[in-house]
Amino acid sequence: MPAAISVENLFASYDGKTVLNDVSFSIPRGASFALLGPNGAGKTTLVSILCTLRLPDRGTARISDFDVVRQPTKARETIGVVFQDSSLDDRLSAWENLEFHGLVHGLAPRLRRQRAEDVLALVELTDWSDEIVRSFSGGMRRRLEIARALMHQPTILFLDEPTVGLDPQTRQRIWSYLERLRREQHLTVLTTTHYIEEVESADQVCIIDHGQIIVQGTPADLKAAHGSRWLHVVPRDEATATEIAARYPQTQRLGTAHALPVSDDAMADAFLATYRTRLEEIRFQEPTLESVFLSLTGRELRDRADGQRDAQRNAGRRGGQR
Amino acid sequence: MNRAITLFRGVYGVWLREITRATRDRSQMIGGISRPLIWLLVLGVGLNPYFRGEVFGEVKYVIPFTYLQFLFPAVIVLNIMYTSIQFAVSVIWDREFGFLREVLVSPMPRSLILLGKVLGGSTVAMIHGGLVLILARFADVTLGIDQMAMALGLMFALSFGLTCFGVVLASRVRSFEGFGVFSNTVILPLYFTSSSIFPLDPTLSRTQTATAYPEWLVFMVQINPITYAVDALRGTIIGFNQFPPYYGPAVIFAMAAVFFVWALIGFRRQ
Repeated sequence: MPAAISVENLFASYDGKTVLNDVSFSIPRGASFALLGPNGAGKTTLVSILCTLRLPDRGTARISDFDVVRQPTKARETIGVVFQDSSLDDRLSAWENLEFHGLVHGLAPRLRRQRAEDVLALVELTDWSDEIVRSFSGGMRRRLEIARALMHQPTILFLDEPTVGLDPQTRQRIWSYLERLRREQHLTVLTTTHYIEEVESADQVCIIDHGQIIVQGTPADLKAAHGSRWLHVVPRDEATATEIAARYPQTQRLGTAHALPVSDDAMADAFLATYRTRLEEIRFQEPTLESVFLSLTGRELRDRADGQRDAQRNAGRRGGQR
Repeated sequence: MNRAITLFRGVYGVWLREITRATRDRSQMIGGISRPLIWLLVLGVGLNPYFRGEVFGEVKYVIPFTYLQFLFPAVIVLNIMYTSIQFAVSVIWDREFGFLREVLVSPMPRSLILLGKVLGGSTVAMIHGGLVLILARFADVTLGIDQMAMALGLMFALSFGLTCFGVVLASRVRSFEGFGVFSNTVILPLYFTSSSIFPLDPTLSRTQTATAYPEWLVFMVQINPITYAVDALRGTIIGFNQFPPYYGPAVIFAMAAVFFVWALIGFRRQ
């Protein structure tokens, strides 16, 4: 069976600047694939190419085995897209937005009604069906967009930063819908995000920075290969603290606690054998994708991403001119 | 066959969205109603007496119609021009606020997306032109069914061409503010130089023959395509033509074809 999405040696540039530099990957059907990286890493450009909105400079991308450059219409029939910023018509009601989507995808009247009811129920917006979208909150809009992207029963769903600007509760809710959908409808889901905690449940994670794929694998593999385990301890007295710091130079002080990178079990055992009785608190921290990103790029993902986002927002406020 | 139905649904969907949006936009509707009222009531009624002259005690008309009758078809064109060209705002809106992408990732071909959109815009523009027809009795214009049908046909074709022109403008303009200024500098000069508010020949008496229009003005009127659109409607509605009668429809249909192709070229690039 051909892969749902396969990308080979993709290059793209914008204003002479390289945005994608030799990107290759392949996503099997029914998988969830997370593209993780700071803003400006090339995620949105990659998604635009995959949903046939822009052309790559070089390389090939195939969606459901259709080439996005040569068979864009065929490729479009199999995809649903949720864009980074809203693409709803906020002067129409929720129902009218869905009706529009059904019409441009050529669904027959009865099917249109049926699907619109189904997807509205799925995202719990049935009661808001006739309300004009302008009155919707950010979370409701995003849910409606997800509903709309699913209306024509695509086999592949693209989500470009689906939870940006939403409160944690709404983000949680959106992820639970997506997870359910993937299980029940055997959808292939490609998500881009810079929220690390959101990719933990993905089958495959691909870390992208400066237009290049840095690493790809399951979250567990990535953590095993690139993340380190930490031992957090709180010493009983200052003497112990000084002794630990002297014996393990990589130790970092985090308030009263000390964090030691754990190289292997023997090291941890040796440490505990010596200090067990002189500690108030002992805690192991398993590696996270945050630490994977840190060790691969030498940067914190979150800080940079948020800084850039603010810069983009300010640029947006200066006026709608490009 | 199935494919044709699918595509037709798409065009219908895009068209329907334009109509729905237009019916919810009160300000546009108010403009569509107030504009003809002002032009006909104030300008039309106000200038009505000056459109004729008394030569040796004998009342003469510049053309064998009252000024209100003369102006009436031009006001229809003005209403269509405003609504059609203003339609570009909807195109800019779709592009800048992201709605366009929703359509572009659908399996519909670009040309049909544009067709649906332009058909929607032209329907609204034609309806706004049609609002003027309600004032026909007031302007002392009587219309038969056949005249009415022909006028509506011409109005739709004109709306189609001008809406495409609006789309062409939209592809060159990046901001809404810019477009507001732009549209006024395009619409009003085109309207004023289309022989809409004055006939091409001012001669009424021997004294007036001496003060003929300057050549540059006559030239501008003659190269303005709107002149022929106004002439076509005037021919249909009050039976008065300043040019050979086939000029008008020919120019209107040519504009529709040329501007659609031009708009399509710009639209495909997005």
